Amino acid sequence: MIDQLLTLIWTMTKIMIIILPVTIAVAYYTYFERKVLGYMHSRRGPNRVGPLGLLQPFADVFKMLFKELIVPTNANKFLFLLAPLLSLAPALAAWAVVPFDDWLVLADVDAGLLLILALTSMGVYGILLGGWASNSKYALIGGLRAAAQTVSYEIAMGFALVGVIVLAGTLNLTAIVEAQSGNIFTWYWLPLLPLFVIYFVSGVAETNRAPFDVAEGESEIVAGFHVEYSGAGFAVFFLAEYANMILISALASLLFMGGWLSPFSGIPVVGDTFLGEGGVHWFLLKTAVFCFLFLWFRATFPRYRYDQIMRLGWKVFIPITIVWIMVAGVFRVMGWFGG
Amino acid sequence: MPIIEILFYLFSGVLVLSALSVITVGNPIHAALFLILSFFSAACIWMLLQAEFLAITLVLVYVGAVMVLFLFVVMMLDVHVASVREGFARYLPAGVLVALAMAVQLFLVIWTRGMETMPMPAGEGDEYSHTSMIGELLYSEYLYAFEIAAVVLLVAIIAAIALTHRRRPETKHQDPARQVRVKRDERLRVVKMKSEGEEA
Amino acid sequence: MQAVTRYLRSLMLLELFRGLAVTWRMGLAPKATLNYPDEHTPWSPRFRGLHALRRYPNGEERCIACKLCEAVCPALAITIESHNREDNTRRTTRYDIDLFKCIYCGFCEESCPVDSIVLTDVGEYHMEHKSEKVVDKQQLLAIGDRYEESIAANRARDARYR
Repeated sequence: MIDQLLTLIWTMTKIMIIILPVTIAVAYYTYFERKVLGYMHSRRGPNRVGPLGLLQPFADVFKMLFKELIVPTNANKFLFLLAPLLSLAPALAAWAVVPFDDWLVLADVDAGLLLILALTSMGVYGILLGGWASNSKYALIGGLRAAAQTVSYEIAMGFALVGVIVLAGTLNLTAIVEAQSGNIFTWYWLPLLPLFVIYFVSGVAETNRAPFDVAEGESEIVAGFHVEYSGAGFAVFFLAEYANMILISALASLLFMGGWLSPFSGIPVVGDTFLGEGGVHWFLLKTAVFCFLFLWFRATFPRYRYDQIMRLGWKVFIPITIVWIMVAGVFRVMGWFGG
Repeated sequence: MPIIEILFYLFSGVLVLSALSVITVGNPIHAALFLILSFFSAACIWMLLQAEFLAITLVLVYVGAVMVLFLFVVMMLDVHVASVREGFARYLPAGVLVALAMAVQLFLVIWTRGMETMPMPAGEGDEYSHTSMIGELLYSEYLYAFEIAAVVLLVAIIAAIALTHRRRPETKHQDPARQVRVKRDERLRVVKMKSEGEEA
Repeated sequence: MQAVTRYLRSLMLLELFRGLAVTWRMGLAPKATLNYPDEHTPWSPRFRGLHALRRYPNGEERCIACKLCEAVCPALAITIESHNREDNTRRTTRYDIDLFKCIYCGFCEESCPVDSIVLTDVGEYHMEHKSEKVVDKQQLLAIGDRYEESIAANRARDARYR
């Protein structure tokens, strides 16, 4: 009993060690987003709070937390307050199986990839219920749009991951990264290039980010599912969205870009120096690049029309993924890439 | 293993309570949410039995996809609880009949197989992988059943698409491609005629 | 054939990459924004801001209560009352400007024969109570004393064009 209690406490500590940096990363991701968007719009972005505006996220957090939490009339109060937590919990829980290095992982689960898929697919409940419980037309429409979109793109995303699973022959994330080891051209982005692109675009759609942000659609339905949320509830929705974006970026770098492996390994001269060694820093760097891509997309692309989103998901992505899964099967049988 | 037992009774308690709530709560949205909760508790129990692949798949398929669509539909319904209750007495005999039949069936199953308790699955070694075990079984021993299930699902998909993918004349569906391609001649007819003044 | 090449080209997402290149370029381009309270855009010496009444170098107020500004003011923002001082010169007893009525056209400054009423280049001022919208003679003179240096400099810079 004492043993199990100790295990529990030790696991809790490890969870905190992962959750805290993720939360701080989310806070600074919002700052980074405003900076990047500002620069791409020929503006400067936040620079008033602290040096270079670096304390801006904390100012935002305190502002949000001190604001009044307004529950709309006739809203379902329990679900209204539960919804933000429902969207945040899966986004944070999925980090349990994300390996940061070949030894640095909280739970080295066999079906890790499947667990992440299951957890990310649950994030939609927060949006759906938040939209319904608000007792507002805009919120309901936003919630329904988000649900339909997420369910559609989950299929394309799952199929894209099937390609990875076919090549790696395992569902364990650590093993998937190790199966890619070699040099930059044995990483799965090359043999699975279409799946890689589809995975990332589906990830953008899953997190309801621009250009797939019809769930918020400021110009049509004000702010979508979180119209009625204020203060802490809104902050938690915000936190969940950005945690999901970072998660998608981390997965993209794990599954297609070799995780913690160094891009220089296997290259004659540079590969023999410290640059050739893998490590957490490579994983964080790759994740940061994908995070930047999210923001770059938002600064560049106009919002999709709703029916075009559905068309892209069902009529373009799913057929391409099915074709490329077969190609990946051929790779596997011929033994060209890993396996 | 007291913790495992505590967790088991916790999850199964939640499972039974939420399953009961599915059929007792008035609000259909709440019923759907309780159904999700019971799926989730069932997945947790499977997880305790070390069937993590099955547990995660249950969450992924039923909680993550099927119930989202279910909620989606239920949310758009405007169910009046009072009008649903009106038919209660009329449908009571049929309902009781179905319930009795199910009870008898359950009783027969339990009667023939007995109520022995199954032991906890023995902890296998680190190399043991449920996922690959299931894969091997599915693609060797149960291949026929698996393929037949796949075909049945395919038929269902095609049937669903065929039902919805017909052209309905009463909808005012717009085809943007046709609107863009339109030529002047299709919309405008220039008529030569004398002006009114000339006629006089 | 053309349809096939067009389809394949659409798969390469060329337009999207071109769009990304544009935003990338703009992200690196120098920024035109100024950090407003710390940095200012250059202001013209002709900027018409807060009003002021000037004095001669010996401290005598310039205004002779001719009431030309009151007459020319299109918004009727100026109210003047006058009397004869002990030295038998005509001076104002009251010189009120309603800042809410004023449209900052600068006609008062143009009409003034002794360069008394001027518009300074002070554009950043506020009031915390509605009653503060009317500035009286003492306040206007105080503003003039405070900004005399910049008022004189701006007049000198603009003199060439008058």
